[in-house]
Amino acid sequence: MTDRLVSQIQNHLPNIPVQVVSQGAEALVFQTSVHPYIDKPYLKNQGKYIIKYRPSKPYRHPTIDASITKNRTIGEVKFMNKLTKLGINAPSVISADYNRGIIWMEFLGTELTNGDISSLKNWLWYLEKNESKEKCLNDQVQSVCRKVGKLIGKLHLNDMIHGDLTSSNIILEDFEPALIDFGLSSYSGLSEDKAVDLYVLERAILSTHSVFSDHYNQWLLEGYEEIHKEFSKQGGTKKYVETYRKLEDVRLRGRKRSMLG
Amino acid sequence: MTVDLDKYAKPGKDHYIALGLEGSANKLGVGVIRHNLGQLSSNNRAQVLSNVRDTYITPPGEGFLPRDTARHHRNWVVRIIKRALIDAKIKGTDIDCICFTQGPGMGAPLQSVVIAARTLAQLWGDIPLVGVNHCIGHIEMGREITGADNPVVLYVSGGNTQVIAYSKQRYRIFGETLDIAIGNCLDRFARTLKIPNEPAPGYNIEQMAKKGKHLINLPYTVKGMDLSMSGILGYIDQLAKEMFGKQAKKVVDETTGEPITAEDLCFSLQEILFSMLVEITERALAHVNSNQVLIVGGVGSNERLQEMMKLMIQDRKNGQIYATDERFCIDNGIMIAHAGLLSYRTGQTNDIKDTVCTQRFRTDEVFIKWRDD
Repeated sequence: MTDRLVSQIQNHLPNIPVQVVSQGAEALVFQTSVHPYIDKPYLKNQGKYIIKYRPSKPYRHPTIDASITKNRTIGEVKFMNKLTKLGINAPSVISADYNRGIIWMEFLGTELTNGDISSLKNWLWYLEKNESKEKCLNDQVQSVCRKVGKLIGKLHLNDMIHGDLTSSNIILEDFEPALIDFGLSSYSGLSEDKAVDLYVLERAILSTHSVFSDHYNQWLLEGYEEIHKEFSKQGGTKKYVETYRKLEDVRLRGRKRSMLG
Repeated sequence: MTVDLDKYAKPGKDHYIALGLEGSANKLGVGVIRHNLGQLSSNNRAQVLSNVRDTYITPPGEGFLPRDTARHHRNWVVRIIKRALIDAKIKGTDIDCICFTQGPGMGAPLQSVVIAARTLAQLWGDIPLVGVNHCIGHIEMGREITGADNPVVLYVSGGNTQVIAYSKQRYRIFGETLDIAIGNCLDRFARTLKIPNEPAPGYNIEQMAKKGKHLINLPYTVKGMDLSMSGILGYIDQLAKEMFGKQAKKVVDETTGEPITAEDLCFSLQEILFSMLVEITERALAHVNSNQVLIVGGVGSNERLQEMMKLMIQDRKNGQIYATDERFCIDNGIMIAHAGLLSYRTGQTNDIKDTVCTQRFRTDEVFIKWRDD
């Protein structure tokens, strides 16, 4: 049960108050009010932090378990560090314990009017539920979608793949998007991998925001194209054309499984 | 569920009877199943009237080749069908429909069983034929036997490795192997070690693994919800060849210094492969927000895999695991009869000209007409 896992993390981090935010297959995400070593960190949000914990899996042989936990934690921290260096919006890493599978990171996002965290998904859902059609497709939504496209474009221009792009893995802070959750991330320069990354997002948008998904997806791609054009000296335009062509292929082939959510 | 399942019953009868023929790999299975009218539920379970199977077994170090397997099926199919009818105490004319495996599987063995099905259908006076997807057979039988209602299905066998969940009248594949199947991986390793194929190579590996205790380092290759096993097999195969071949290389455990044995190799291979399977299953569970797991397929009868799955599911809220024993896990005719009968009860039958079998037949191609949740 989750309780067992919560008491585990409290064992690892005594006297640190934690609150469960979400539980995935591989990791638990907690929220805490404590910074591990500074009172006034150079971060926007000084009162809230995120702790991502990869618990050991009782079904795995202890040796296999230890090496997987360690390697994945290291991989994720490296990926996030690289993003911070490149100036791609993502939470900065504060501290990490590789052997125990703990990553302490910056808290991103604000609360929406209805109290939910300001992920792209929650924000769009909020609009779709409470606002008129015009408001759901206004300039602000368009600009946010384009910014998300640009953000993903930047990521791909650096040959980095997120691996699990969904609208809930994009956090908005003052309508500036940031990426989170790099548990499935990888490095690749292949247009195929980039196209699949985009396709996964496209499908996710289609299933979670089906009413206006066409608009959202179009704007995302426009942003994606725009950032590639900005870097056309470094071969951005060519890369965009390649990836877009691949994306059309992937769409046709329908990435073998059609997923639900 | 509100699908009407009684439209196609023979007038005056309160039940359906179906004959199922399975021969997609080295097992030839024939089963007879009976459904009473009305929805299948906990008070109205399908009745297994007979379930007969014969396995084509090859000498240690050899796999089964399509041609020889097909010959085995041809030689045995009449005897096995007779046996099944006697066990079930029915005549050929009592049968509502004859169900056969249409795919996926090995071409030649599939074909020889389809011919038997066609012959019987015409011999007994135009009995409808129903082609069944082998994977759907496993899933539906697993659901019926265990009573699992809407589980995430881990289908692990000699030819398949898939994580499946139901949505909108299809069994959708969430994760699967990118190269070889888990059973194939184990069988081939058994061949390298010359482990007997009787009763099954996987079973013998399992028994040897129980005695192993040293873990050797193997690659771990999960990619999202998919996995890859050929690299692991290549690595451990090479090691086994070096250890037990002419070189007679000595390998010792890194921490204890004790020598590595064949049992240790089996143990390590199982640990790494099953960890990968459990991980992708857990991922699928989280993805569809489910807490039930059903394990089907021949490798599903492995107790270590079931144990690992149990440990995983205990950490999830109200988690439940369902598994069947070897009668239903390993390929059998009854599951084909069951899935085929469900299909028949919703009016899906195949004309003789549409009974061609196919080696490639994906799980998500089948329209699940008998479920509407």
